[in-house]
Amino acid sequence: MEVLTVLVPYILRGLSITLEVTAIALGFGLFFGAILAILRVYGGKILSRVIGYYVTILRALPHILLLLVIYFMIARVVNLSAFWAGSVSLAIISSAYQAEIIRGAIQSVPGGQMMAARSIGMNRFKAIWYVIIPQAFRHAIPPWSNEAAIVIKDSSLVYILGVPEILRQAQYYSARTYKPFTAYVTVAAIYFLLTFITNRGLDAVERRIRIPA
Amino acid sequence: MPKSDKLIVKIENVHKAYGREQVLKGISMDVTEGEVVVLVGPSGTGKSTLLRCINQLTVPDSGKVWVNGVELTNPKIDIDKARQHIGMVFQDFNLFNHLTALDNVLLGLIHVLGMKKEKAHDKAMLELKRVGLANKCSNYPGQLSGGQKQRVAIARSLAMEPIVMLFDEPTSALDPELIGEVLTVMKDLAVEGMTMICVTHEIGFARDVCSRIVFMEYGEIIEQGNPDKMLNNPDLPRTRQFLGKISELH
Repeated sequence: MEVLTVLVPYILRGLSITLEVTAIALGFGLFFGAILAILRVYGGKILSRVIGYYVTILRALPHILLLLVIYFMIARVVNLSAFWAGSVSLAIISSAYQAEIIRGAIQSVPGGQMMAARSIGMNRFKAIWYVIIPQAFRHAIPPWSNEAAIVIKDSSLVYILGVPEILRQAQYYSARTYKPFTAYVTVAAIYFLLTFITNRGLDAVERRIRIPA
Repeated sequence: MPKSDKLIVKIENVHKAYGREQVLKGISMDVTEGEVVVLVGPSGTGKSTLLRCINQLTVPDSGKVWVNGVELTNPKIDIDKARQHIGMVFQDFNLFNHLTALDNVLLGLIHVLGMKKEKAHDKAMLELKRVGLANKCSNYPGQLSGGQKQRVAIARSLAMEPIVMLFDEPTSALDPELIGEVLTVMKDLAVEGMTMICVTHEIGFARDVCSRIVFMEYGEIIEQGNPDKMLNNPDLPRTRQFLGKISELH
């Protein structure tokens, strides 16, 4: 009983933070990842190489290490709350993964599509916007769903910056009551539900926009 | 069959190489209004490359190309604008996979020509009717046969009111029994006076409707002339040998 009346509400106080961190990381990650991917494919040799380095470095290091490095780098330049610094760090990390997802999706659109678009007089930008992106978007959903699941769980990393998301709340609770098991199992169930709902939702989107054949 | 002497396409000494391989070795060719030119030759001789050099989907290394009096090889011209009125039909159709047949035709009308939706819709339906596919307007490419896809692709090009149509092996990817419906559409176009340049090995089409057969090999034009001469009495033994072979097949 105490689990439902005390523990769950206590952990749920961190839920909005978990959701916000996740939304910021995924949202900004998508925005920057998409721009990086488009530039990587269509932006010419030099830009493509620079973005390649960005992606390679970010993917090569542990997220928690990056979080600390980016956090302390950002904290030196601007006075940012731990919440924002953590969220932005996760967004930067996710942008590298999402850039790769979107690049793959763009490149899986057959080359003839661009050629056909250009042949009716579309400029590059319009061809990318009206012909390539709508198709790439559909290809990107399954791997993006995977990335969403990872970011939901990575949102727990901001706890090392002292941001009170659900894992941090569970830890407080466990320290106060000496009931680590119930605390962590509860928080595990919440993570499970979050990823489960997100992935099912994205599956539904995928089915909904599937091109009839 | 040319209806006038107005020059629609002029190609002057076009060269193109991929790496060390010279694909086009100085091609020159004039096409006048209403002419239907058929390009034939063994595979890998640069026929498709030549076609793509006309609308600059492939940029020639040297040489010049004019379409309707505008030099497209001049880097200062707005090539997107020029391409609006150069129709191109591809071997593997290249319909926009995420759009219905109607939306495939509409896309250029709305987002390239800037037509109002209603007007564009009427125009697109008209073009689909022209290729006999008005009833398939809400089908996606995945729901169409190869022949139907190619006819939609032709409608998509025609909607832009091209001054010349380029066909790049339009029937090569089709089942034999679907080739006829595409050729019929192409023949109708030819009869209506459309200027056409076609890479195809459909000798029947060449014999019936084209005004000139151009035989290419190793990046050069070997021989050209009206279909009667080219098919029955060419100057060169190599032309006779090649055209004789593909005539047997069709």
